[in-house]
Amino acid sequence: MTNTLIDGLKERVSNAITINQSVGVILPGNNYSDLIQALFEHIHSRSEDVWVYVTITRPYESIFKQFGDLSSGGNIKFIDCISRAAGLPKIDPNCIFIESPAHLEKIIMEILNIFRNIGDNVQKYLIIDSLSSLLIYNDAQLVTEFFTHLTNRTRLSDIHSVSIAIEEEMSDNINKIIYLRSDKIIKLRESFI
Amino acid sequence: MSEGMVVSEGRITVEDVVCKTGIDELDVQLDGGIPVGNTVLMVGSSGSGKTTICMQFLANGARQGERGVFFTITEPLFKLTKNMQGFDFYDKKLIESGMINLIDLRIISERLGLDAEKYTVEDASALLEVLKDIADELNVKRLVIDSITALCYRLQTKEMIRDFIFKLGSSLAAMNCTTFLTSEVPPNEVKYSQYDIEEFIADGIIFLGDVDRSGDLIRTLQLIKMRGTAHSRIKSAMSISSKNGIELTPLLKSRA
Repeated sequence: MTNTLIDGLKERVSNAITINQSVGVILPGNNYSDLIQALFEHIHSRSEDVWVYVTITRPYESIFKQFGDLSSGGNIKFIDCISRAAGLPKIDPNCIFIESPAHLEKIIMEILNIFRNIGDNVQKYLIIDSLSSLLIYNDAQLVTEFFTHLTNRTRLSDIHSVSIAIEEEMSDNINKIIYLRSDKIIKLRESFI
Repeated sequence: MSEGMVVSEGRITVEDVVCKTGIDELDVQLDGGIPVGNTVLMVGSSGSGKTTICMQFLANGARQGERGVFFTITEPLFKLTKNMQGFDFYDKKLIESGMINLIDLRIISERLGLDAEKYTVEDASALLEVLKDIADELNVKRLVIDSITALCYRLQTKEMIRDFIFKLGSSLAAMNCTTFLTSEVPPNEVKYSQYDIEEFIADGIIFLGDVDRSGDLIRTLQLIKMRGTAHSRIKSAMSISSKNGIELTPLLKSRA
């Protein structure tokens, strides 16, 4: 049952991200873990692409514990925006730890810095996990501006993006902007299970 | 044609008229770079990144073959180099080869037999002459004085400070090198200088500040003025990292 769900999610995300430059995924909190697993399985199967995973929802350490060393494929870099702010200082060559999830500009700088060194012939993907979690630390207008600015920059740099938003954390502003700025919206319903 | 332009076989190159800081986003905001020969006031409170920007400016210039000199009056040289060693832009070879010259003005003061704590007008003029001679002799294209505030602090009266600053302005204008003067101001104040006069000899002002966001301080940089170029005036978020030195990106504005 679970495998069917994850395979289904993987297929939907995979198809959407291949065709569209900017994909928004809106889902209930219950399905969050399934989506993350589907995403990592997809990333694992795409070793020729380069991925940057920005985590605001779970510390990098927790992802590492659950999914193992995802960096062994050499195609994924993490940006952890919450560990340092939570007093969990870590040093890991595969992860950039941002001081605070309120430092949105620094997040943009680090994303672009990683992709800057990647060749033009490589497919580049960005995952924001999640836009709605940014609302815990920032006001909605600021997150809206961040997302607008980020998608402008990623489009110019040919970076595909997957932006996750958890329904229970959503505000009207984020709902509007994710619809407005994404080429494709994947909306997961519990009935999908 | 503005002073400083060089016509070579009828062609003027960008490098002849602008001095690139080497900090990409800053050069974009400056419409290419700082007009050659400008004196720029680098304003900020303690810890705002003034010295780091100045050192990166010199290091980037040295890599392009432009010799630079850094006159310090606030920090001993060993401390300055120790702080810079963590940055990728810092290369000891640039100092060893003489492309970047670090000079402690307090040592020069001592050698001139000046009182290190109090300067007379004559003392300040003598120091200025030495500074000018060093710059001429080394044929420097980039010059930093860190800081003009500490230098003026040693002068006793407002009149002496004013005279010194105007003399400094004239000397710098004659040198035809691009200069950064760091200026210390109290935190959270929109003020460009301690003595309210330094900005009058400056062709440019770069203001380093902070924005409080949910209790976190975000570093900012803003170009207030730059003669001779159509520069941006947007406020940027600034990051200082060991790998990339100074980085800028437009500051997000909360309307909440």
